[in-house]
Amino acid sequence: MKKTLRKRHRREKYFKSLGLASLCLALLFLGTIFGNILITGIPAFFRTEILAKAAPSDFLNPHAKYALDEEKKWMTASDEVDMYYKNDETGNLTPEQVKTIQSLEAHDQIRLTFNGAFLTHSDSREPEVAGIWGGLLGSLLTLIVTFLTAFPLGIGAAIYLEEFAPKNRLVHLIEANVNNLAAVPSILFGLLGLVAFIHFMGFPRPSALVGGLTLGLMSLPVVIVTTRASLAAVPYALKEAAMGLGAMPLQVLFHHVIPAALPGIVTGIILSLARALGETAPLLMIGMVAFIATPPSSILDPTTVLPVQIFNWSRSPEMGFVENTSGAILVLLFVLVLLNSIAITIRKKFELQNVL
Amino acid sequence: MSFKIDVKNLSLFYGDKQALFKVSLGLPKLQTTALIGPSGCGKSSFLRCLNRMNDSVPNIHIDGKVLLDGKDIYAPSVDVVELRSHVGMVFQKPNPFPRSIYENVAYGPRIHKLFKNKSALDDIVETSLTRAGLWEEIKDRLQQPATRLSGGQQQRLCIARAIAVSPEVILMDEPCSALDPIATAKIEELIDELREKFTIVIVTHNLQQAARVSQKTAFFHSGHIVEAGETGELFTMPKDERTQGYITGRYG
Repeated sequence: MKKTLRKRHRREKYFKSLGLASLCLALLFLGTIFGNILITGIPAFFRTEILAKAAPSDFLNPHAKYALDEEKKWMTASDEVDMYYKNDETGNLTPEQVKTIQSLEAHDQIRLTFNGAFLTHSDSREPEVAGIWGGLLGSLLTLIVTFLTAFPLGIGAAIYLEEFAPKNRLVHLIEANVNNLAAVPSILFGLLGLVAFIHFMGFPRPSALVGGLTLGLMSLPVVIVTTRASLAAVPYALKEAAMGLGAMPLQVLFHHVIPAALPGIVTGIILSLARALGETAPLLMIGMVAFIATPPSSILDPTTVLPVQIFNWSRSPEMGFVENTSGAILVLLFVLVLLNSIAITIRKKFELQNVL
Repeated sequence: MSFKIDVKNLSLFYGDKQALFKVSLGLPKLQTTALIGPSGCGKSSFLRCLNRMNDSVPNIHIDGKVLLDGKDIYAPSVDVVELRSHVGMVFQKPNPFPRSIYENVAYGPRIHKLFKNKSALDDIVETSLTRAGLWEEIKDRLQQPATRLSGGQQQRLCIARAIAVSPEVILMDEPCSALDPIATAKIEELIDELREKFTIVIVTHNLQQAARVSQKTAFFHSGHIVEAGETGELFTMPKDERTQGYITGRYG
């Protein structure tokens, strides 16, 4: 007995340390990725400026060159100067140009300031003036369309399937297929969007409307599955109590079942929206990959979204886009964390109301 | 003898499996009838037929008649919602709604629109809670969540909730099986008082409880009623061997 007991305790310890080790490994990976993005991304929020009167015109951003006559003291430096000043990357600069920068530095005629334009400007061919506003706004509009598609359709389908549908073969077939759809690669939904919304319905091509509808279709199965799971988790005793008092099926549903299931439903929706926010592949399929330098003013305007913009930037040859890519990823991550914390807050709030 | 509910030749099938075999039983008005018998004998199924709680069970089939004041509750013209406002139910495990105490009691009157104004509703809530013997304990915290009450209080709240729609019959499905002896004693006392206004049918595994609270007892065994009669008689002079075996604890 004593012998086997020691053995059992040892096995317990062994298993615990195994779990701890895998957790540490996962944290290490996460830390490496996050640290890397942070280190390369933070400089994107700063830009190099040169005192206008001292600046050689080939050191300035092409647009800043034309503005030289104006009363502006500090002007945005070109990508190459920016890279050299931030990271000591010589790139295509000649030794003389490097010397000039060093002398500007010595005379305090070159400086680093907060790059507000990164958040307020839209995309550009020049990394030093490119920003994420267009992509951010596009993502927001797309997400609204996604929500308006997936929320009513998903909840409606889930409620019907869970509470009202007869239990026959056809319904079982539909249920099985909804579950399978949740695992279908997202690019296939892009294909579906391309055929259904652009070729068949003729909606304007790289617009938030088409992108949102496509992502809405993609989120639909996930919303249905999570909503059904939360509806099914409502204790039968609660429904029975209401039925025993003579509540109609619809009253049972709206007074008791849905309020009890709401935390799960809301969490499911926000998490699927978060997934839609980070989705790239289906949007490439419907032509949202185009370079668009103006922020959209409606859901019908040509639009790009944040992840697609990140994808585009990551393929650009200019050095400056490397840090822009990481900077945009930081913003995307921030929005995702924000969405997830909203989901957690809402769930906590509703859970409290239900349990207490 | 006038029966509030008269069950005639009731058979119940779950798919191919028959759970009740042509059961007939009269439930006397303003009395408590206890249904006893071993687990799986069909007494709960029988009880749930009395307010058609079985309707939502898939593949169920019911034959026979259940007459409430002479009218068959399984007739096509009967609205099940109206029926349940006449025949209330209290379940095995206390199942208050996750809302305030007040809202729990007010829910039934609200969905059936049984009141004219807020103060009338307040009155219904107070009377129901008083009848359920809970008013004194919780009158200062009506807005508190019902789930914070103790198990016994929750069960009495469920009884108050059932009373609030002024039913004529109250069905109780082992209402004390999840409660401690003190809470059980309170509920039994309550059942005795409620008999003045309501006809009560109670399913119980506790034979002493059946003997204490009921005037009539029916002994179920594998889907049949073996014996039914006045409680005192059934417990002291059972006619059937199986009844005797069950109440003396020789099998069950």
